[in-house]
Amino acid sequence: MTERYDVVVVGGGLLGCLTAWMAARDGAHVLLVDKDQVNQHASGQNAGSLHFQLEYRMVEAGEEAARVAAEAMPLHLDAAGMWARMEDEIGEPLGVRQTGGLMVAENSGQVGMLEFKAELERSWGLDVRTLDRAELDDVAPYLSRDIVAANLSALEGKADARIAAPAVGRAAIAAGATVRARSRLVGAHRVPTGWEVTLRETDRAGGERARTVRTEAVVLAAGVWTTELGRVFGAELPTVPLALTMTVTSKIPKFIPHLVQHAGARLSLKQSLDNTVLIGGGWPARLMRDANGVPAFDRKHQLIPQSIAGNARAAVNTVPALERVPAVRSWVGATTVAPDQLPLVGAVRGAPGVFVATGGSAFTLGPSFARVLTDLIAGRSPDIDLAPYDPARFAEGSVS
Amino acid sequence: MFDLAIIGAGPAGMSAALTAADHGLTVVVIDEQQRAGGQIFRQPPETFAGSVLHPTAGYGWATELIRRFEADPRLTTEFGWSAIGVLHDDAEPDGLCVAINHPEHGTRMIGARRLLIATGAYDLPVAFPGWTLPGVMTAGGVQTLVKAQKIAPVGDVVLAGAHPLLLLVADLLIRDGVPVREVAFAQSIPTPVDMLRALGAVPGHLRMLTETGAILARLVRKRVRVSSRTIVTAARGTEHVSRIELARVDRRWKVTGAPREVAASHLVLGYGFSASTELARQIGCELVFDSPRGGWVVAHDERLQTSVPGVFVAGEPTGVAGADQSRAEGTLAGLGIAASLGRAVPAAAFAEAERGIHASTRFSAVVQSIFEPVRGALGDLATRETTVCRCELVTRGELDDFLESSPFVSNVNAVKLSCRTGMGPCQGRYCENSVGAILASAREQTIGLGGRFSAHLPIKPVPVGDLRDLDAVTEQPASDGSDTGRSAS
Repeated sequence: MTERYDVVVVGGGLLGCLTAWMAARDGAHVLLVDKDQVNQHASGQNAGSLHFQLEYRMVEAGEEAARVAAEAMPLHLDAAGMWARMEDEIGEPLGVRQTGGLMVAENSGQVGMLEFKAELERSWGLDVRTLDRAELDDVAPYLSRDIVAANLSALEGKADARIAAPAVGRAAIAAGATVRARSRLVGAHRVPTGWEVTLRETDRAGGERARTVRTEAVVLAAGVWTTELGRVFGAELPTVPLALTMTVTSKIPKFIPHLVQHAGARLSLKQSLDNTVLIGGGWPARLMRDANGVPAFDRKHQLIPQSIAGNARAAVNTVPALERVPAVRSWVGATTVAPDQLPLVGAVRGAPGVFVATGGSAFTLGPSFARVLTDLIAGRSPDIDLAPYDPARFAEGSVS
Repeated sequence: MFDLAIIGAGPAGMSAALTAADHGLTVVVIDEQQRAGGQIFRQPPETFAGSVLHPTAGYGWATELIRRFEADPRLTTEFGWSAIGVLHDDAEPDGLCVAINHPEHGTRMIGARRLLIATGAYDLPVAFPGWTLPGVMTAGGVQTLVKAQKIAPVGDVVLAGAHPLLLLVADLLIRDGVPVREVAFAQSIPTPVDMLRALGAVPGHLRMLTETGAILARLVRKRVRVSSRTIVTAARGTEHVSRIELARVDRRWKVTGAPREVAASHLVLGYGFSASTELARQIGCELVFDSPRGGWVVAHDERLQTSVPGVFVAGEPTGVAGADQSRAEGTLAGLGIAASLGRAVPAAAFAEAERGIHASTRFSAVVQSIFEPVRGALGDLATRETTVCRCELVTRGELDDFLESSPFVSNVNAVKLSCRTGMGPCQGRYCENSVGAILASAREQTIGLGGRFSAHLPIKPVPVGDLRDLDAVTEQPASDGSDTGRSAS
């Protein structure tokens, strides 16, 4: 007999788990599926930054690009508030610490950038303050003497990407959802009540079998696989995959309480609650592709020597004490952005009952994405204007 | 760029290097030890009196192989350097960059058209109550200490496990005057014939069929108890091991009775070996699970090329099969690599190399079938309080609770991410077998389906500052092909 659900969520990352949890809490009968394991990909491979300031990648392209990126600030502010409440609501630790984030500057050009950025961010309602060197001596003595100023956003911090999605997955189960790993959505067709989707599942003996389920709504929370899954539903959902490099150190006594970013270099670092230091910041890795040049997301992406070296240099230049701390591993995670750097969030045009969210800080913004998706599934009107994030905005003839 | 970079100067690496050089390839060999030989023929430091290698009977070829290798002016060697990872550089699309690190000299990059992984094997770790107490050692580790460092345990010793290497180590210790109280095997009595057949392919030794009888005789003469169907269930003590608990087991190594205690200050464990595959994992080579051959081993074609083009494998990482087979595979890999670089290799040379492998496989297959560890039973030895991951101090209880609360988890990397097992400096070498067995048991699935830990650069920790040199210009062989590129030894 065909199983029936109100909602099938595709993708067991943080966003998928949050959506399954919220929808189940709403009373919906929910199935969450992941072709691999919960938290196996970007949600578990990213470094868990909760960054609400505009990132280096958003400002390095100039002031106009920064202004466009700032349009996502309502989502950021919403997410900051949701993260602050999340552990209480989930009932498990997620490693959330919003103890402040610094974006540091080494020279007057970068300080000028900080000032421009702070003003723009404040105009959108984010509380940002520029600290001078004397204040940094007090607030962040671990920073290099070459750092002359920093923007402090008190809302920023981190969550633990290792544990967050599985914890939310457990909460989803407690709220009544079904969670299945090794279940890949391979087909979908319309039925009067919604969709019939085909899942290819791997059993305990390693064999494969197909499972068919009916559902009223489908949520695509699949990161780099969004474009591919969109086609199953006849929709064009353009995304750009990015393979990024991260490095983690062994455990050292706590000395970095902040999320640290750099105004003139690709750098993001923080000390985890496990006392390791996570170093990233957008250094590219080599995305593997098949013979036709199509990204092969199931292959192991390759580190680029210049990226690891550049990231390590930026880290040591900013926090000199890291120089002799053992690095335990550098790895690659693949994330997604939309062509215009704004996320895709909303209903999928031409596929009634199908909703999507991805692209651009989907870990940091995951709670907000999940909340608006849950509203859309239930037929409620979200309290955030989703027009800038319309998944159909790249389609031919789109007027957005 | 070198034609070939070889990681590991054991039997496989040495024979591959000589074979490749014979076919005109420029070769660099990297090994983290100070001298050639690998773990099996680990040589004492040159500064030691009597630092001459005495390979066990049956491996007489080792002395000659090491001598030829060390004397060969065509080879560049980098002893004391660890390969921490292999990278692809867009600037050198036809080659690989091998990152090597030295604790004092930092990181260097070596360019090579081909890579050979000949990284050997290590003792299979097993987690049970007390296994992290000082005084608990592995058979391979003790053998290295005795033979290469002239250090032996002080006090009474119990040896336990499932691998014939235990007999050899017991003999080494007895000859050194160390009191050996008991040698316990988990198997149902391996017949003397089994043991004799098996000893030919131990990655530590001996074709010496006659000498085996002598070992057993010495053990008996010294009143050493040799038990079968007996497993160690705990090591007890406060600061150090003082008592060992041994229990009877059934054919599948399940404990059937209450344990008895034996007073001892050292417990030497020998359950077999795991192939050293971290570098292959880091590069992205496909692995397959093959329990008798050492767990996760590197997949390869008939010329020992892995799933990653240009990357070859020889020796224990293809399946733990002993020094004879490692040497034979090294030769075949050297030929295959030379052929892949366009050198003329006669078909007869390949045929001979394949015969060498075939001959050694006869022995190794016997050992593998008799001495395959019952991994599920070994996983069950860990109690709730037992530390499974000793880097991150994760207990069996934490793993069990996580698996019970997270029914959607069925892969070891998902366990690793949530529980931190395998996330520490050892990158899971110590706990992968335990975690794999525990997961398989909890999910009623095979160990293979649970997957294996991924491994990442640096496969052994290096300071963050040393990562800054990963974009250094890659080193080239000396242009005249002489030994000017050879590092000081």
